[in-house]
Amino acid sequence: MDRRNFIRTTVGSLLGTRSLTSVFGQLALMEASSALSGPVFPDYRALVCVFMLGGNDGFNTIVPMSGGARAAYESSRATLALPVSQLLPLTPAADGGASDGCSYGVQSCLSAQDTVGAEGLRTLFDTGRAAVVCNVGALIQPTTKEDYQTKGFPLPPQLFSHNDQQTYWQTCGGAGDIGWGGRMADLLHAANENMAVPFSISASGQATLLRSNTTSPYVVGSNHLDAMEFIDGSGHGSTRVAFEQLIAQGGQSHALASEYANTARRTRETYALMSEALAAAPPLATEFPSSPLGRQLRMVARLISARQSLGLKRQIFYVEAGGFDTHDSQLIDHPGLLSDLSQSMHALYLATQELNVSNNVTTFTSSDFGRTLSSNGDGSDHGWGSHHIVLGGAVRGQRFFGDMPDLTAGGALDAGWGQIIPTSSIEQLAGTLGKWLGLTDSNVAQIFPNIVNFQLRDLGFMA
Amino acid sequence: MRGIRTAILIAALIVGATPHIGRAYDALLSSSFDVDRPINDSEAARFLQQATFGTTREDIAHLRAAGYEGWLTEQMAATPSLEMPYLEWFSQSGTPYQQERVEAWFFHALGAQSLIDPGTVHRDQLRQRMAFVLSQLFVISDRLALIGREPEATTSYYDLLISHAFGNYRDLLEAVTLHPAMGNYLSMFRNRAPVPELNIRPDENYAREILQLFSIGLTHLHMDGSQVLVGGQTVPTYDQDTVRGFAHAFTGWNWHACANWDWCSPDWIAPMSPMPDYHDADAKQLLVYDGVQLPGGVLPAGGTAQSDLSAALDSVFYHPNVAPFVARHIIRQLVTSNPTPAYIGRAAAVFANDGTGVRGNLAAVVRSILLDPEARYGQFQNPLTFGKPREPLLKLTHLWRAMHASAASHRLKEWNPELSLYQAPLRAPSVFNFFSPTYSPVGELSGMGLVAPEFQLLTDSGLTAQTNEFGRDIYYAYMGNPSNDDDDIVLDLSEDMPFAAVAEALVLRYDTLLLGGTMSVTLHDVLIERLSAITPATSSDYLRERVQEALYLIFVSPDYAVQQ
Repeated sequence: MDRRNFIRTTVGSLLGTRSLTSVFGQLALMEASSALSGPVFPDYRALVCVFMLGGNDGFNTIVPMSGGARAAYESSRATLALPVSQLLPLTPAADGGASDGCSYGVQSCLSAQDTVGAEGLRTLFDTGRAAVVCNVGALIQPTTKEDYQTKGFPLPPQLFSHNDQQTYWQTCGGAGDIGWGGRMADLLHAANENMAVPFSISASGQATLLRSNTTSPYVVGSNHLDAMEFIDGSGHGSTRVAFEQLIAQGGQSHALASEYANTARRTRETYALMSEALAAAPPLATEFPSSPLGRQLRMVARLISARQSLGLKRQIFYVEAGGFDTHDSQLIDHPGLLSDLSQSMHALYLATQELNVSNNVTTFTSSDFGRTLSSNGDGSDHGWGSHHIVLGGAVRGQRFFGDMPDLTAGGALDAGWGQIIPTSSIEQLAGTLGKWLGLTDSNVAQIFPNIVNFQLRDLGFMA
Repeated sequence: MRGIRTAILIAALIVGATPHIGRAYDALLSSSFDVDRPINDSEAARFLQQATFGTTREDIAHLRAAGYEGWLTEQMAATPSLEMPYLEWFSQSGTPYQQERVEAWFFHALGAQSLIDPGTVHRDQLRQRMAFVLSQLFVISDRLALIGREPEATTSYYDLLISHAFGNYRDLLEAVTLHPAMGNYLSMFRNRAPVPELNIRPDENYAREILQLFSIGLTHLHMDGSQVLVGGQTVPTYDQDTVRGFAHAFTGWNWHACANWDWCSPDWIAPMSPMPDYHDADAKQLLVYDGVQLPGGVLPAGGTAQSDLSAALDSVFYHPNVAPFVARHIIRQLVTSNPTPAYIGRAAAVFANDGTGVRGNLAAVVRSILLDPEARYGQFQNPLTFGKPREPLLKLTHLWRAMHASAASHRLKEWNPELSLYQAPLRAPSVFNFFSPTYSPVGELSGMGLVAPEFQLLTDSGLTAQTNEFGRDIYYAYMGNPSNDDDDIVLDLSEDMPFAAVAEALVLRYDTLLLGGTMSVTLHDVLIERLSAITPATSSDYLRERVQEALYLIFVSPDYAVQQ
């Protein structure tokens, strides 16, 4: 339909529904939705999503060290296999061992320059702060190898395409590419005192996970929040007045110009709020790695430290780490990536302890997909199921959740060349996190329609 | 007939965007379109926005004199400006890095006087623009350290795009496939035949991305770019078996003139060479489509690395999808984010057959795209949605071109534009480019089913960074500011300052030059009011300040965010 008609019909129907677009900007949304009755929470809780871009090799992240799993691993991974001597064993709680009864470890330091290796994750696991969720991936319903080979069996589309799977991980196939984090925001936003404060924050550009019908995610750089110096800085008052006239709501006729203006208004309003709160927050003592991931998580920690002055009860954060598409030089590149991941996540946990919110922040890893068990010579190709980590004081750590897959080449879950069919779905992981965040069972079913296909809607890794 | 068409057109242009214009446009489209040159400066400016790195007054005059065909012919015949000579020149005084490549890129993008051959001016704007368009299709990025360490790799790769910009897509596809920069970026380099006892099989990286991103995409398309639907479902163009087939076809390639698979000298410039012992000679499943040459899409066993590569690339090239896929990419980059299916169809048809029976003629395709009625007059048919968000990097090149920017040192040391503009040539975050072609901001645009790919970069931090970048460039970096050093790239405001004495004159001048005549009433009125408040009484250099204020407000305005 043409643009004028669209505006007319949408404006007319907007205020009667819960589906408000960001056409009106953040402040107006607050007014408009004050009629919504929001959930009431006594405490603060936040989710932090660490997305590993490219498809992390989970089978070389959580690695079998003994038993049948080790034998299968060595045989199917061959030149990609990590020797036991390079692994730090994970020591699970008595009731938390891997489902196949084998022992697993994480990579230790692999160079003199990297004395930490994945030690941070191992410590967090062994002290009950981190758990492993096994063999998670994109599924519509539980899938066997025979199912996979059956034409017409329901599967998520484009299983081995980076961008499709990054989107699928973050939306679970929802329409309009609305993120499941965004849908959580739609349902929980009203729990925050001041709905002009962003519910979701990304330190890595536009985040599909956070795309929402009623909230606008705030995108921050990882170093500091910036002002529009030449508009909002001192001495630019007249330019400011002019700029505000240009970006005034309803003042643009072209749809793209209008979008730009909406963004500009929202950015300025949010900056004003956020920068004041950040400036008032005490400095963080915890040190973070200087890597891009480390800096993003440090920004997350600083924003968490500002939560009280912003009246926040619920938040979702999104950060990215790059370089995981290890088609090449996997044994050379992967250890450094995991070391950075481990150190950065460990630092975030320590920062939450410093801020007395270690039980209130849950961090989880995610990635496009896993990787093939089989090698292409010096790396692996796009796989499917992969292991992920959840971290936080509220996590039932020191445990493995979900089913460990058979890593035998051509085994029961091998969809081809070592692309392993997941045994837990993204919905199950995300639904468990959502429940902890305060969603009801019916909220979870609404956000994740396919979750009804799975036996366990709650994987049990949250206390 | 021609007189009547022209009259309708003139009426349309004078009156502006009203419902009458839609009817005039329909009348135009229904007859054969043959207006051969811009009717006024604004029309010329609009064309130049689509075909260059930013409109200049000189180009407007020249285009009006030469006419569209004349200008295009000149541009296609202009000497290609290459980056390698710059890298070699810089090598004389030290080791060059990626920054020297980016500097060379700016010399070409700005159409500047050559740094290395002072008598020459880089005039090949359309070719350079096409190369930039192609660099966002056949993506490699120096963010991958393996490539980032090798400036001659990325430089020679970009030169390949420049050289092939008006050539044939099939030649370009092969050149890209065999360039060692791409070979290392998407790991076809040293990809080898299977070693079953070690559970080693060929690397699938290039096989997948060449299909998904460089040529055909994930699902079957009609020639107008719309999805083929069977039973209401889209139809995938390939599956895992096909990816494996291509992965096996792309085996056995190493450094140029390599004699020993594991131990030969790197050559980051010359095409990769095949080594027969490492090529998989089995049969391979390639693409299946109507009219495919290989029965069942199966490449028979017994091929060499070279013959299998040719067959694989032919398998891709003759897939019907390539025409709409490539045409749509170029249209979205140059003209409009949401072309009509008919527009895509017209351009795709030219890709399929340039009129002389040749498939893949990129010169013919870009000519067709720029001269299409939708490119020339689409803003009248859909005045509220036609067009595209301007790429942040191209806003900078436009500012610098329009304002004749230069540095006292004659250098162009803008080495990291990605810091504030989130774009730099061959520096995308991944093979998925700076933004997704399907990105649609939640709200009105997604509600209308419209995409705005470049707006993926318009985040809170991105928008803020842009306004700060242009603030510095306009308020501080101007010729005559004593605080600037020799390397600062400064604007020449002197040509426009006389016009600033009458605010209306300056505003009109910039409406044409910067906005192609699309300035809104709001922007016009705000500018007049603001400029009128800057007078000799309030400022010692009021003409300069008026020019700067006008430039800044335009560059950060919602109007300028859109190229219509």
